[in-house]
Amino acid sequence: MNAGDLTMSPVIQARGLKKSYGSTQAVDSVSFAIQPGRIVGLIGPNGAGKTTLFKAILGLTHFEGELSVLGRDPRSERNQLMQDVCFIADVAVLPRWLRVSQALDFVAGVHPRFDRSRATDFLRKTDIKMSSRVRELSKGMVTQLHLALILAIDARLLVLDEPTLGLDLLFRRQFYDTLLNDYFDKERTIVLTTHQVEEIENLLTDVIFINRGHVVLDTSVDTMPERFVQVTVTSENAARARELKPFYEREVFGRVAMFFEGRNPEELAPLGELRTPSVADLFVAKMQGVS
Amino acid sequence: MSTPEATTAVAMPPTSLTNQQSLTRVMGTLIRREFWEHRSLWIAPLIVAVLMVLTVFPLHIGQMDFEGAPNFADQANRIGAFTLMIWAHTVPQYLVMSLVSSFYLMDCLYAERKDRSILFWKSLPVSDATTVLSKFLVGVVVLPLGVYVLAAVSGVLFQALWSVRVASQSLPDISVGWNTLAWLKVQGLMLYGVVVCILWFAPVAAALVLVSAWVRKNVFLWTTLPPVIAIIVERAAFGTRHIVDLLGYRTFSGVWSVLGINPTPPESVHHGQVVSLANLFDNVEMSKAFLNIDLWLGLAVAAALLFAAIRIRRYRDDT
Repeated sequence: MNAGDLTMSPVIQARGLKKSYGSTQAVDSVSFAIQPGRIVGLIGPNGAGKTTLFKAILGLTHFEGELSVLGRDPRSERNQLMQDVCFIADVAVLPRWLRVSQALDFVAGVHPRFDRSRATDFLRKTDIKMSSRVRELSKGMVTQLHLALILAIDARLLVLDEPTLGLDLLFRRQFYDTLLNDYFDKERTIVLTTHQVEEIENLLTDVIFINRGHVVLDTSVDTMPERFVQVTVTSENAARARELKPFYEREVFGRVAMFFEGRNPEELAPLGELRTPSVADLFVAKMQGVS
Repeated sequence: MSTPEATTAVAMPPTSLTNQQSLTRVMGTLIRREFWEHRSLWIAPLIVAVLMVLTVFPLHIGQMDFEGAPNFADQANRIGAFTLMIWAHTVPQYLVMSLVSSFYLMDCLYAERKDRSILFWKSLPVSDATTVLSKFLVGVVVLPLGVYVLAAVSGVLFQALWSVRVASQSLPDISVGWNTLAWLKVQGLMLYGVVVCILWFAPVAAALVLVSAWVRKNVFLWTTLPPVIAIIVERAAFGTRHIVDLLGYRTFSGVWSVLGINPTPPESVHHGQVVSLANLFDNVEMSKAFLNIDLWLGLAVAAALLFAAIRIRRYRDDT
């Protein structure tokens, strides 16, 4: 397989992925494909199966079904896979005894694609000192350090599981800005799971909604306006609008916001004000609409 | 410096050059990592070595003029005393080292789960096998050999200070002071002992690594209680004591028969003679130790236990 083929084929391809913990079906026949050069949000409520998918992609858990990541099976080829994949898990705490300089030494010693100067350049912009131990850093600084390590690795796939959990708004904003400006390019793919949808929706090129172990929606953000329309309907038009079968509706200040999928905008225009739903609104609509 | 790299660059295809960090570099990094995290690995042996050197100062030995005392005018006795001093100087260092090593091995794969950093380590391209082996090697090879070097150096310092005290007549002149050949022979004997112990105790160390990879909490209890319970149950159910014999053989008595160091038979030692360890070095049949079947069986068990520890670290899913 040459590099040209690889860039054309999906970075992650899942078919009929299943995983259960005891009697709980964490992931149930999940299929999706993630193309290179995309930033994909894996979005779902707590317990939806995000972390299970994340672990499956990184070869950290066993599962049934087919899964190929960068053309490899994460179950049997995890070691090779980790050369090209980076990840930050929300539970992946940097060890408290580690010094910043040791962290750099360590990653430089084990990772063939680590660019130490890139990491130090990044750290220079922060308040983190080389001699500090992780236990002396604030939570935001630990994440900055982790990000500095990860961003200095020339990986093809970056997987982030709730990377900004527990950080304040400033750090969160900075985190995603850095990710987008200093790291992301057409050769790379980022998959991130979060439940703070609002903050990342401008960042994403694709979204995969997952709920109760099922994929509820898998779409690119570009094609969302063609597929989904949110109509703010006045109460007198409500009955007429319901005939067009919205998959979700919500009452706001005496008017009803209805969400339609696959409807012609011309058909909906007479009913009220049309707009493309935000990812966050669509997420709520999809989650509530299904149950 | 650049020559070896230049040749590998020619020998290896460019893809594997960028995709693989050399195993020696990875292993070196992993070993350094262990010394960062577990600072007792180097602090404890260092403290003991310094203390052992300092024992030369409070040391007091009366005049050896009692009935039947060795004749320290005899050169052979003076060399014997020299070798015994060097040996005795190392004993506390090796005892502390075995404690440090045991506690380290019990903790090595447990700590990364306890502080929840395991996913960080697993996010880097280091296989579970390499990680587990690096920890095993630190406890079983790097630490003992490090203490061997430390003990040799501190022994020389001790001898130097001893000679100063003898010269100032605050200690009796019972030893030769320095004899390079005897020193080398004692060092050879000690190195042989360290290597045989490494091989002999490898399954015990591997068992500690396995427990460390496996337990959720209370590593120490999980290491010590099951053997004790097994011994009691065996005793109660069958009235036999095979387990305690086996454990005693593996953790203590067995290594002496493998070492094959036969102290000079008492009847051949005449009264007042100080036996030199250099003579033990001359008489030990080192090759015999490596033909001992129990040594190799133990190594096979160690390999199996390590394999299990690697599998557990690779596939456990409770983080």
